[in-house]
Amino acid sequence: MNSNIFEMKGISKSFPGVQALYKVEFACVPGEIHALVGENGAGKSTLMKVLVGAYRLDEGEIRVKGKRVFFSSPKDAQVNGISIIYQEFNLIPELNVAENIFLGREPLKMKGLAIDNEHLYARSKELLASLEAGIDPHEKVGNLSVAQQQMVEIAKALCLNADIIVMDEPSAIVSGKELESLFRIINSLKEDGKSVVYISHRIDEIFQIADRATVLKDGRLVGTVRPKDIEKPEIIRMMVGRSLDQTFPKKEKGKRKELLSLKEIYKGKVLKDISLQVYSGEILGMAGLVGSGRTDLARVIFGADGFDTGKMLFEGKEVRWLNPKTAISNGIGFVTEDRKAEGFVGCLSVKENLTSLILPKISKWGWINAPVQDETAEACVKQFNIATAGLEQEIQFLSGGNQQKVILAKWITAQPKLIIMDEPTRGVDVGAKVEIYQIIRRMAQEGKAVIMISSELPEIIGMSDRIAVMYEGRITGEISGFDATEEKILMMATGQIKGNGRNHVHESR
Amino acid sequence: MSMSLGKVKENRTIIIVYFILFALVVISASSSEIFLRPRNIGNILRQAVAIGLVSIGQTLVILTAGIDLSVGSVISLTSCLTAGLMMGRNSMLIPVAALVIGIGLAIGFMNAFLIIKTGISPLIVTLGTMSIVQGGVLVYTNAAYGEAAPLLVSFAWGQVGFVPGPFLFLVAVGAAGMFVLKRTPFGRHIYALGGNEEIARRSGVKTDRVKIFTYMLCSLSAVFTGLFLAGRMGMGDPLIGAPYMLDSLVPVLVGGTLLSGGKGGLSGTFAGIFILTVLSNALNLLGVSGYWQWIVEGVIILGAVAFYEKR
Repeated sequence: MNSNIFEMKGISKSFPGVQALYKVEFACVPGEIHALVGENGAGKSTLMKVLVGAYRLDEGEIRVKGKRVFFSSPKDAQVNGISIIYQEFNLIPELNVAENIFLGREPLKMKGLAIDNEHLYARSKELLASLEAGIDPHEKVGNLSVAQQQMVEIAKALCLNADIIVMDEPSAIVSGKELESLFRIINSLKEDGKSVVYISHRIDEIFQIADRATVLKDGRLVGTVRPKDIEKPEIIRMMVGRSLDQTFPKKEKGKRKELLSLKEIYKGKVLKDISLQVYSGEILGMAGLVGSGRTDLARVIFGADGFDTGKMLFEGKEVRWLNPKTAISNGIGFVTEDRKAEGFVGCLSVKENLTSLILPKISKWGWINAPVQDETAEACVKQFNIATAGLEQEIQFLSGGNQQKVILAKWITAQPKLIIMDEPTRGVDVGAKVEIYQIIRRMAQEGKAVIMISSELPEIIGMSDRIAVMYEGRITGEISGFDATEEKILMMATGQIKGNGRNHVHESR
Repeated sequence: MSMSLGKVKENRTIIIVYFILFALVVISASSSEIFLRPRNIGNILRQAVAIGLVSIGQTLVILTAGIDLSVGSVISLTSCLTAGLMMGRNSMLIPVAALVIGIGLAIGFMNAFLIIKTGISPLIVTLGTMSIVQGGVLVYTNAAYGEAAPLLVSFAWGQVGFVPGPFLFLVAVGAAGMFVLKRTPFGRHIYALGGNEEIARRSGVKTDRVKIFTYMLCSLSAVFTGLFLAGRMGMGDPLIGAPYMLDSLVPVLVGGTLLSGGKGGLSGTFAGIFILTVLSNALNLLGVSGYWQWIVEGVIILGAVAFYEKR
């Protein structure tokens, strides 16, 4: 039996230092919605990039309609009926909808001299009508909403006569009504006999639309299941269920005292009814899916954003930071998620970055005390084991792990009482990860309050004394770091179970 | 047919630019009685030719999010070579014109080639070629030199009624440019390139080829300006093109094309050309010194660009 429209067999792919995919099998039949699920970093996107030729595979074979194929680029795959729609769209905002749908493939007239605009607009109108999108083909793409742009991408794929449409986490950018109409369209594509590969890590959606779901974990195939035959917790177990590494330091706390207290904080659509206590001497893990509001909450605590209603108490006093500068001078630090954009100044030296927060302390009348600056930087490099060619080395030439250590060291020398870390080990190799974990734990032992945001569940569980889980702007539960399992957290992070929030804290010693 | 939001917005820019031009004409006409006389109108149209031709090419380049600062030196080179090689002989008109067009296209090709291969920004690349070409011209001759073919001179000074002949040439070039931009795949790809080069490439646009043609067309438009100026002056001048390096940008920017690329077009540039020539003509008629004209021009550029960037 071989009715598969495409099949991938024994696919392996490695990047320097990482086995991204190992002997993965994946196939689709015509008229099927096949979900590809797994945690961040499970290899879902990598597998699809291998399918469309954006990555070359190390091992294995891909067959489309029974024939073995070797795509050299996504463009090549497109010509052969496979279109992929990324979270970041391939549309040009300055051009209109129809011009975008046909970009690079304009229909011609006058012996190829001019664009056949009648055909271009008529065909675009037809395609958009078939999607019931209600989008004017003359509208500039830049004026469209994200959901509408997604429709234009789908129209573009249809215009290319795609039989197979891969959608990379479409629900990461649309939700609610827009997501419903996306589902309606995906179902109508299915009725037309097209195959849709739907990448997601949201369990609900998979049960809502997928005919089959293939689960990946750490680059390996866990299994392919029919959602209607199984229960939700089973899929969640397939997605996680792994033992924790022995990479985490012992959970020894410092002196515990309430430092920050949030009471019923609301902010626009991103934060709802947030109440949370943060204690010195312990690590509070913040879990949740991308877009659940963790970073927004961190930005409020750091004074980078304001909030609408609610109360924030810091050391018992009600506060409302005007800007990060006041938060910093009151003892709050923030190691941001996006190192390159917000964490350091790439063209400045290691020394200058290390001392950027304590400049007022080491300068007099606007002049930096150079010997003190050198000593401080020297001490940091030693203490945090930063591998650099020297203090004058530009930080952009350091490895990701060492850049992160510089950032941590910079904040620690500023002596904050509370430090927030957003994805502190993203893009950091395993060796440096362990060192960073130790630095973080040491801060807690020294009596600082640490908030650690992470999408890596093992890291959250391995590091945190207490874990708060967010889902759609709310804190859906709190759980002790000793009782937490990946299943429990994921259930809360996907809104499967609603913990009682703040009354749910266990004190475990 | 109903107009979409995007179209209305785009058209609004054009309407504003033409309204400014219209207002300028009305003010000029009411402050000087000479302004509307056919002879003066003819003057304005002739003034528009040199700046107009080169800014058409510049528009294409800026739409791709590039810039060409070498146009001034190409104009000087064309002017000197044309007069220097023709030496007043009509028989040399066609061969010399062909030669300077070829040289212009080669310079445009080099610009694009260097931009693509080195990854250096167009600003720096064309600044470099500008310096090289301008230096070459001054090596060739450091003073006014040569004699343009009489046919070229009579073309430059020719009239059809009160309309100067070369102005009709400008209109033809402009119309061709509009057709290319609005109706051909090449034109659409110019916009796509200016919008987002990476996405354009991924959509199958041959971005390198588009760049090469665009810079070649831009240099070609500078050659046209150079030929016209050689005819109008009757001889070559090694520094005649220098002001066009920056002047060629002014109609483009005033006409609503953004330096960041992807937005704007030739109808705006046309209004920009006339805003500048009418302004300079009116200020001349009022006896305002050229230095003041610079100040007014600067204010207009800053005002216009600030206005468009805000929208």
